[in-house]
Amino acid sequence: MLNPSKLFENFKNTILTKYGPNPAKMLIYTGVLGWFLSSAAQVVAIAVNDKIPKEQKMFLIPQEIGDGAINVVSFFLVTTAIKNFASRLVSSGKLASPKIRQYLTDSGINIKTKKGWKVLPNFDFSKFDIKNMTNFDLIKDEYNSFKNGIDVIAMTAGSILSCNIITPILRNKYAAKRQQKTLAEMNKVNMDRMQYPRGISMDTYRNQAALKYSGSPLKI
Amino acid sequence: MASINSITSLSIPQVCENVSRKFTRAALNAAGSREKLPTISNPKVLGAVDWIGKKLSSAENRLILGASALLSQPFIDASNKDVDSETRRYSICRTIAKIIAGTATGYTIRKLCIKSIDAFTKSVNEIKPDMKFKKLRTLLTPTLKYTADELSQYKNTLGTILALGVMVFTNFLIDAPLTKALTNWFAKLGGNHNVKSE
Repeated sequence: MLNPSKLFENFKNTILTKYGPNPAKMLIYTGVLGWFLSSAAQVVAIAVNDKIPKEQKMFLIPQEIGDGAINVVSFFLVTTAIKNFASRLVSSGKLASPKIRQYLTDSGINIKTKKGWKVLPNFDFSKFDIKNMTNFDLIKDEYNSFKNGIDVIAMTAGSILSCNIITPILRNKYAAKRQQKTLAEMNKVNMDRMQYPRGISMDTYRNQAALKYSGSPLKI
Repeated sequence: MASINSITSLSIPQVCENVSRKFTRAALNAAGSREKLPTISNPKVLGAVDWIGKKLSSAENRLILGASALLSQPFIDASNKDVDSETRRYSICRTIAKIIAGTATGYTIRKLCIKSIDAFTKSVNEIKPDMKFKKLRTLLTPTLKYTADELSQYKNTLGTILALGVMVFTNFLIDAPLTKALTNWFAKLGGNHNVKSE
C-alpha cells in the first residue's frame, strides 16, 4: 500500500541527496526541461500569430522546432561534456585552490617546485580522484565548495556556448532547408492544379527560379 | 548481441553522459602539463568561485543566458544568408522578442518560486513566534541531515521544479503572447517591408 506521506518524505530526501551537493547537475536537467517547454509554447505562438506571413512561418516554425531539439541535444552533449571536464580537472587535482594543492602536497601527490607544483612522471590523472583518498575528510568542505563553483561556472559557460552559439547556427541551417523544401513543394502543388492554358507567369517563373536548390537564382 | 543489448538498454541522457565522459577522459589526459599545475590563488577569484557555487540559482543562470543570448543570437540571425532579407528581418525581430520575453518571465518565475519554497523550508529553530502558518513552515524541510549549503541548493532545486510546473502555463499565457506582441512591435519599428500582392 502506497503511503503518500512516506513518498513525499522520500521525494524531499532524494532531491536533497541528489542535487544538494551537486547544483550544476540540477541546472542542466531543469535547463533542458525549461527549453523544451519554452519551445513548445513558442511554436504555438508563431502558428497563431496572424501578422506573420505564411512564408515566414514556414521558416520560423521549423526554426523553433529545430531550436528546441538542437538545444536539448547540445545541452546534454556540449554542456555536460564541459561540466564533466571541469569537474574532472578538480577531482583529478589538475586544477585546485591553494588549500587543496597544499593537501595534495602533504599527501605526496603533488611536489612543490620553484615554479609551482608538479606530479611524478608516471602519475595518471585519469585514474586519480581526490575523493578516493583515505584522508579526504580533511579537505572535504573546501573541495566541495571549490568544485561546486567550478562546476556551475563550467555549466554556465557550456550553456552559453550550446544555447547561444551552436544552437542558433544549426537551427538556422535546418530551418532554411525546411523552408526551401516546403516552398518548393507548395509551388509544385500550385503548378499541378493549374487549369488550361497551362503555363507560368513571369512572377511564378521568378519564384520557381529563386527556389532552385542548385545554386543562386541567377544560375538557372 | 550483448553489446547491442547494452546499447539499447541505455537512455538518450545516459548515452550522452557516456559520450561526454569519454571526451572528458581524453581531454583530461591531453590538457595542461604535468610540470605546472594551475592553482587559483587570487582571493577575489576564489571568493567568486565560492559564491557562484553556493548562491547562483537557476534564476540567475537564466538571466546570464538571456543577456549573453542578446549579445550573440541576433547577430547570428543577421548573418544567415540562407534565407531572403524579409525572413531574416522577422527572424531577428522574433529572436530578440523571444529572448526578452523568455528571460523576463523565466527569471521572475524562478525567483518567485524559489522564494516561495524558502518560506516553507524552515528548520525548527528558524521559526519565530510572530510567524504566520507555523505548522506549514517546515512542510518542505527534508528529514535527513544537511548542511546549510545543501539546504540552500535543495531550495533552489525545489523552486526550479515548481517554476517548471508554473511555466507550463505561463509559457502559453505570458511568454508566447508577449513574444508575439514584441515581435510585431519590433517588426513595425524596423518598418514593414513585406509587400503582399494579394
